[in-house]
Amino acid sequence: MQFNFGKWFGTRAISVIVAVLFCLLLDKVMQGPDKSYYRFLMSLAGIYVTLAVSLNLINGITGQFSIGHAAFYQIGAYTGAVLAANKFSHLAATKPLLWLFLAALFGAIAAGLAGLIVGLPSLRLKGDYLAVVTLGIGEIVTIIAKNQKSLGEAYGLSTAKIESVFLISLLAIVCIAVCRNLLKSAHGLAFLAVREDEVASAAMGVNLTRVKVTAFVLGSAFAGAAGALYAHTKAFVSPPDFSMDVSFLILTMVVLGGTGSITGTTIAAVVLFLIPEKMRDLPYVQMGTPLGVAIGIIVAVVLLRKIQESFHGSASERLGRNLGSVGIGIVVAFVMAKVLVMVPAFQSMINGALFRMPVLAVTLVVLMLLRPQGIFGHHEFSWSWVQKLLGKKSPETEVAA
Amino acid sequence: MLETKNLNVFYGAINALNDVSITVQPGEIVAIIGSNGAGKSTLLRTISGLIRPRSGSVSYNGKELTTLQPHEIVKLGLSHAPEGRRIFTNMTVEENLQLGAYLRKDKAGVAADMEMVLGRFPRLKERFKQNSGTMSGGEQQMLAIGRALMSRPEILLLDEPSLGLAPFLITEIFNIVKDLNADGKTVLIVEQNANRALEIAHRAYVLETGELVLQGSGQELLHDPKVKEAYLGG
Ligand SMILES: Nc1ncnc2c1ncn2[C@@H]1O[C@H](COP(=O)(O)OP(=O)(O)OP(=O)(O)O)[C@@H](O)[C@H]1O
Ligand SMILES: [Mg+2]
Repeated sequence: MQFNFGKWFGTRAISVIVAVLFCLLLDKVMQGPDKSYYRFLMSLAGIYVTLAVSLNLINGITGQFSIGHAAFYQIGAYTGAVLAANKFSHLAATKPLLWLFLAALFGAIAAGLAGLIVGLPSLRLKGDYLAVVTLGIGEIVTIIAKNQKSLGEAYGLSTAKIESVFLISLLAIVCIAVCRNLLKSAHGLAFLAVREDEVASAAMGVNLTRVKVTAFVLGSAFAGAAGALYAHTKAFVSPPDFSMDVSFLILTMVVLGGTGSITGTTIAAVVLFLIPEKMRDLPYVQMGTPLGVAIGIIVAVVLLRKIQESFHGSASERLGRNLGSVGIGIVVAFVMAKVLVMVPAFQSMINGALFRMPVLAVTLVVLMLLRPQGIFGHHEFSWSWVQKLLGKKSPETEVAA
Repeated sequence: MLETKNLNVFYGAINALNDVSITVQPGEIVAIIGSNGAGKSTLLRTISGLIRPRSGSVSYNGKELTTLQPHEIVKLGLSHAPEGRRIFTNMTVEENLQLGAYLRKDKAGVAADMEMVLGRFPRLKERFKQNSGTMSGGEQQMLAIGRALMSRPEILLLDEPSLGLAPFLITEIFNIVKDLNADGKTVLIVEQNANRALEIAHRAYVLETGELVLQGSGQELLHDPKVKEAYLGG
């Protein structure tokens, strides 16, 4: 195949233009004082997509195990916040968008450097040292932030409020594009090879340390950029925003989406961020309702498991049975909720928001039971895949067959 | 010339290689035979830099290898097809072969070698875009050898290429090794299938629990009474 530079450059240029236009459009739609809540949600969703996809580069694609991603997110956030409050306060006030861009850059550099310092020694060694070290780094960064006067101690730090759905969605898209292009390149194969078999990769001439450190530094840098954007979106940073819970939430997004799948991670990031966020607004509910729902979910899961174990029909037959058991689950949940509410002991009212975390946990357990490899497994969204779903044979599969 | 001198390798307290010295001259097929756990794979892994010896040296054309990283050793022209094939089963045949050429920058040369490998292993050509994990054991072994060839090595280190294959496939694999050698590749081959290995080897070493106990030409060892009794089934 002849390499056609003009064509290659043309496709690139078009995708960049489309991406920028898309982000501008999103920004436009989200303008206006009445949309501030949705703008905030949208921004955070974009930030979580960046965080999850960048962790996926480390954990999913390269097969390392970092569990302290929030530390790099925090380093970027504090870098942006501190700089905007001191040296760059003038720029932040006069040219907010330019500053926001620079803040993301500085955040990325700071977090990337931290990633290099942490990653170089721990990734040289065989074994899961990275997990232990990143766990520690999360704590260390938080302790430093909590004890430094200039970082606002436990209370936190205010900084300029600069919202930009444009930059946040652009960062998410750039992060996705970088990971995707990496996978398509010859060097990207090396990342996947390291995940699959370190010994064989080394025998092929892959420099294991270099590949692992590159993935780790790149992933950390994207988290840092996301942190800087977060700091200005919220105009305030404080240690709890970057606690261990946040690291675990990001990790869950990667595992749930399908370790290694960029598509799956992106979807999981949006869903997992929105579930607890939406449930924050729940009114007071009677205790019988959630109990009934929980029982319904359990019934549905048990039925689905049974079907998967015993029934190997065609795809559409299986889909029918699966939908059927979900339906049964919903009916059971509805009936149980109604019945339980009539029992005096379950009539007391409690705050619905309390159920945020349990519901998230139950959702995760259900998904892991049904699909341990994550929603997408190793698969990616592609046009030939869509065609296959629609029942057409893609040209590629015909050649292979 | 590849040379090891007084190699001592330990796994914890286990002394896997004890004062092992071998030489491989350009153009030779050299076989290492020995029973399970003798240290054959350990010797290959030490040469290709995957493990470090406690003492002793490995040199290639006068250059010391024991201080180098595996990827630097590949660059010098040694290619290791490790025990158990270890192909990348989640990748296609094409991607496996591309990874074999990972360190090469000469695109035209890589493309030519890809053609050469596919010409030598027509089965790989048929399965070019197929996930390599779905191939048969014999096809996977051919891929492992083909992949090792993609770095255009001067020396090929083969660890039990006949393991788990049907007799007719074993014959095919050994014929391929002979052909590669006739085309100028130097081969260091580790085998439990001593009979076949000695038939094609110019020289061979016998390894027993980490120590070299015998060496000689392939034909000599093939007719040595001790070797016959211990490794060739009497
Ligand atoms: N990673 C390891 N950790 C500890 N001991 C090991 C390790 N690898 C090999 N050994 C031990 O070192 C000795 C030599 O092993 P090696 O794999 O080199 O044998 P081999 O001759 O290749 O055997 P086989 O023919 O079964 O492949 C064995 O006793 C083995 O148990
Ligand atoms: Mg072995």
